[in-house]
Amino acid sequence: MENKKGFADRFDWTLAFIILLFLIISLFAISSAQTTGQYGINFIPKQLVWYIIGSIIIGIVMFFEPEQYKKLSWYIYGIGVFLLFILFVLPDSLALVKPMNGAKSWFHLPIGDIQPAEFMKTFYILGLARLITMHHEQNLIKTVKTDLILLVKMGVTLIIPLAFIMQQPDLGTSLVFLAITVALIIVAGITWKIILPIFLGGLGMGGLLLWMAVYMQDFLSDNFGFNPYQFARIYSWLDPYSYASDEGMHLITSLNAIGSGEIFGKGYGERIVYVPENHTDFIFAVIGEEYGFVGASIVVSLYFLLIFHLTKITLQLKDAYSTYVCAGIIAMITFHVFENVGMTIQLLPITGIPLPFISYGGSSLMGNMLAIGLVFSMKFHHRTYMFSKNEDD
Amino acid sequence: MRKIPNKRAQNMKAKQRANITFRMNILFFSIFILFTMLILRLGYLQIVKGEDYTRELARTEEVPVNTSVPRGRIFDSEGRIMVDNLPQRAITYTKMQTTKSEDMYEIAEELSLLIEKIPAGITKSDLQDFWLKENPEEALELVSDKERKKIEANEDLDKKEKSKEINRLTRSRITEEQLNSFTPEQLEIIAIYRVMASGYALSPQIIKGDDVKEEVSVEEFARVSERLGDLEGVNTTTDWRRVKNSSLAILGTTTLPKIGIPKDRLDYFLARDYSRNDRVGTSYIEQQYEEVLQGQKSVVKNITDGKGRVIDIQTVFEGEPGKDLVLTMDSEVQLAHEEILAKELLKYSNSYGGKYLKHAYFIMMDPYTGEVLSLVGKQVGSNEKTGAKEIQDYAFGAFTNAYEMGSTVKPATVLTGYREGIYSINATLVDEPIRIKGSAPKSSVFNRSGSIRVSDLQALERSSNVFMFKTAFGVAGKNYVPNQSINFGTEAFLKMRSGYAQLGLGSLTGIDLPGEVNGETGGFADGKLLDLSIGQYDTYTTLQLAQFVSTIANGGNRIQPHVVKEIREPSEDGVQLGSVVKEMTPTILNTVDNSRAEIEQVRKGMQRVYFGDKGTARGAFANAPFTGGGKTGTAQASEYDRDAGHSFNTVNLTHVGFAPYDNPEIAYALVIPDASLESSYKTNFSTAIAKELVDKYFEIKKKNKETTEIDSTSTSLIKPAFTNAKIDEEEND
Repeated sequence: MENKKGFADRFDWTLAFIILLFLIISLFAISSAQTTGQYGINFIPKQLVWYIIGSIIIGIVMFFEPEQYKKLSWYIYGIGVFLLFILFVLPDSLALVKPMNGAKSWFHLPIGDIQPAEFMKTFYILGLARLITMHHEQNLIKTVKTDLILLVKMGVTLIIPLAFIMQQPDLGTSLVFLAITVALIIVAGITWKIILPIFLGGLGMGGLLLWMAVYMQDFLSDNFGFNPYQFARIYSWLDPYSYASDEGMHLITSLNAIGSGEIFGKGYGERIVYVPENHTDFIFAVIGEEYGFVGASIVVSLYFLLIFHLTKITLQLKDAYSTYVCAGIIAMITFHVFENVGMTIQLLPITGIPLPFISYGGSSLMGNMLAIGLVFSMKFHHRTYMFSKNEDD
Repeated sequence: MRKIPNKRAQNMKAKQRANITFRMNILFFSIFILFTMLILRLGYLQIVKGEDYTRELARTEEVPVNTSVPRGRIFDSEGRIMVDNLPQRAITYTKMQTTKSEDMYEIAEELSLLIEKIPAGITKSDLQDFWLKENPEEALELVSDKERKKIEANEDLDKKEKSKEINRLTRSRITEEQLNSFTPEQLEIIAIYRVMASGYALSPQIIKGDDVKEEVSVEEFARVSERLGDLEGVNTTTDWRRVKNSSLAILGTTTLPKIGIPKDRLDYFLARDYSRNDRVGTSYIEQQYEEVLQGQKSVVKNITDGKGRVIDIQTVFEGEPGKDLVLTMDSEVQLAHEEILAKELLKYSNSYGGKYLKHAYFIMMDPYTGEVLSLVGKQVGSNEKTGAKEIQDYAFGAFTNAYEMGSTVKPATVLTGYREGIYSINATLVDEPIRIKGSAPKSSVFNRSGSIRVSDLQALERSSNVFMFKTAFGVAGKNYVPNQSINFGTEAFLKMRSGYAQLGLGSLTGIDLPGEVNGETGGFADGKLLDLSIGQYDTYTTLQLAQFVSTIANGGNRIQPHVVKEIREPSEDGVQLGSVVKEMTPTILNTVDNSRAEIEQVRKGMQRVYFGDKGTARGAFANAPFTGGGKTGTAQASEYDRDAGHSFNTVNLTHVGFAPYDNPEIAYALVIPDASLESSYKTNFSTAIAKELVDKYFEIKKKNKETTEIDSTSTSLIKPAFTNAKIDEEEND
């Protein structure tokens, strides 16, 4: 009966429209960012190509039903881990995996540099969603014990890709994995008796470490073997003006750019401040400077709209697996946006992760399109069963 | 169908479903909070703080640019120019942060057609640069593809090091022949380019006009000026050369723009908005008054476009030339004194006993204001080119070299005697040889064996050593008993030295010149207290001696000597000095612990040195046309002779004095270290030289008084230098 509906009815036009808006914002921001001519490359056509490839990915992903992903979850997860493993074991000297900027995170393919970790995020979500679903199917009666077992299983699933990514090293992406896990722990329905102590304890520990990094660095470096450069990251975040490291300078230029945008911004192409990497990780500085508070808020709100839309879809879905996948995708996008925008406005320390759909970059865009493709698929293949009403009771 | 379990399962599923919805809401709410934080933070940065950031950006765009404001000039007390600026035409080039080397070559090429530039100072790497630029294809072939690949494959090198390595290989393979193939025109381009490239961004570099040997001709200046529009970064301007009209070393020196800020003080100056090629004072007055002499550069605001290119330059602050200094010295007096001292130094250094005579110093100051009226130091040296003996300026030695001063310190001993209550005014003590167990007897020069009762006045007049020794015994709280050993203790040394320091002996004078040295303080060995009391132990500089006699002359105020009298605005019309910005007022460092009467008594004693029947300076001063007082001194010293391999005993000759007796206007100190071999020492010739120096002062003063009566406004007029000796800054290095 679901087949009675045509393509146009089942396709999520709203979501497509939001992505289209991001494409437009992305092209405007990148074209302004590259006016400094620091790279001598025109990124606009490249980004367009990535968007086209991304759309094709969405099309392919949408073609398959969520049920199929559910079945294949572990294989997909396995492929992702395998890619990370390959990247890890191949020698640095090999041109294919040569480290860039001190991190071995990319396969240098003829079509461009591909970062497996970007895809692994989505694969991990699939694996985790499947894990949770299966766990709940096997343990209909939830107890603290079954919840703990679930938690351990999730931990194991997390630790495998995380270990590979952290040694690349890639702190930003590692944090994304943590964010996804945290969100799914909440949504998976694990009892508050476990969640609260863990989260509060984690927050407390983080706060304490931060406090100690500022006031007791000797204690930390003597007893826990922290390196001075790790404190440097904290200082350059909290007080970039007196701690003029590279990161501190980066933050200052970013703050100058965004702050001087004031309410309405300077207009397209009128930016003055040169922020390094402003076509990728620091693209928000361009938006903040040229379009001011109004423009920056609109972009942030557009992300919120996307999240809101995804949440709405999630709540409509009847199938638990799809719900978990969506929740993971929501967490992934949220964390990217919050961390990326946050680091440009001194809300969070600088870590290298891109702004989804806007920053220039093939892997990142394809990874995100893959995730969004899954949402499209769920929406597209979503069925309203006759007896669903009973189920909802 | 097993309905019940199914139903139960469905129940569970529904429960789970509801739970997921609830949890999703919590997740969504958390996300809402996070996004709210982003928006709030953005609002704070862009709305609350937005203007601050905008201002911050505007501020960093303002750059002080070296516009070559003239440095302040230095005048003598009569308004004669001692250090001047000569304007000269200059062609400058200012590099922007974004300027590329191709642009600079282009401009260098255009300029080479307009101006003549001697291709001097071109290095091999300059030639290589040019060759690489001219022959890009050949250059590429110098390193084969194979070699390139090998370097590229080297894992130990990063990208930069790799290109560096290729560059190094390429350069090493350019042949000498290729480098020597340039035409004179091309060499000129290279010479111009190397100056352009050597500058820092936003800091004008003088392409031509900073070398005396190569001045910018009027035609060149005009040719370049006409084409400024095509020559981005090039400017025609006026630069200044520093020219001294006196050989007086304490005027100090400045660096040349091509040398710029001395490396060891780079941070100091850069922190004060100097550019690296600024002319800065590196010694004496030029250094001490750097902040005054250095003008304020104009500040321009570079308006940049989105790519950091400067599209417009607005002047925010016009800049100010440096302030002028008026010195306390009258160059006529100074020069006359220099001549006298140089003449005498030459004469005595040529005499038999003057083998080790190398230096002579003389300082004359106003005892009430501390104004240094003349500051002379001369040394025997040899001409750099001919090697012939000549007298050179060594004025700074007067406050950087310390010597044992001998009897000239006796007034200080007597004042210390009063202060410590050993005796009071008009007290008498028996002058007799002092016999101390285990050492040779010590006596006064005028009384080697007898026993004569002398008063404090006579002690100064005849320079009694024994009076001072007995004072020292008293300060130590001991009575002199012949043929006993002595044990004074450190307390006595401290008392004595503190008494001296009050007067200026053994404390820094605080003169406004860098590098002043305090003399050397000896130890506390018992017998040496007696030597200390007659100036044969601790050492003092000539300037300390001059301050000491000033303190006595003015009645007990230790006054800070200074060489700068006024700081003035630069002259507006070139005829009159500018208005006074700051007048240096007398600074009393401390007042001595003696009563007026005690100081007056010492002054009287010093008067008797000049005019008393048995005064030691009577021979030269008894018939002086002025009143005053003084004290002579000879100190035993020794000079190590490297050729002979051992030391020879010499004598230091010293003289201090003040005149006239009432309200003295001058106080002076003359020091001639190692004046004579002790073996051939006959007479203290410093006394006669001192008389000649003082006479000269009064003579010039009298002459000037006659002329100033005719022209009363003369002090604020700028007058030409007293001599024609011009020392260009270039010759100073």
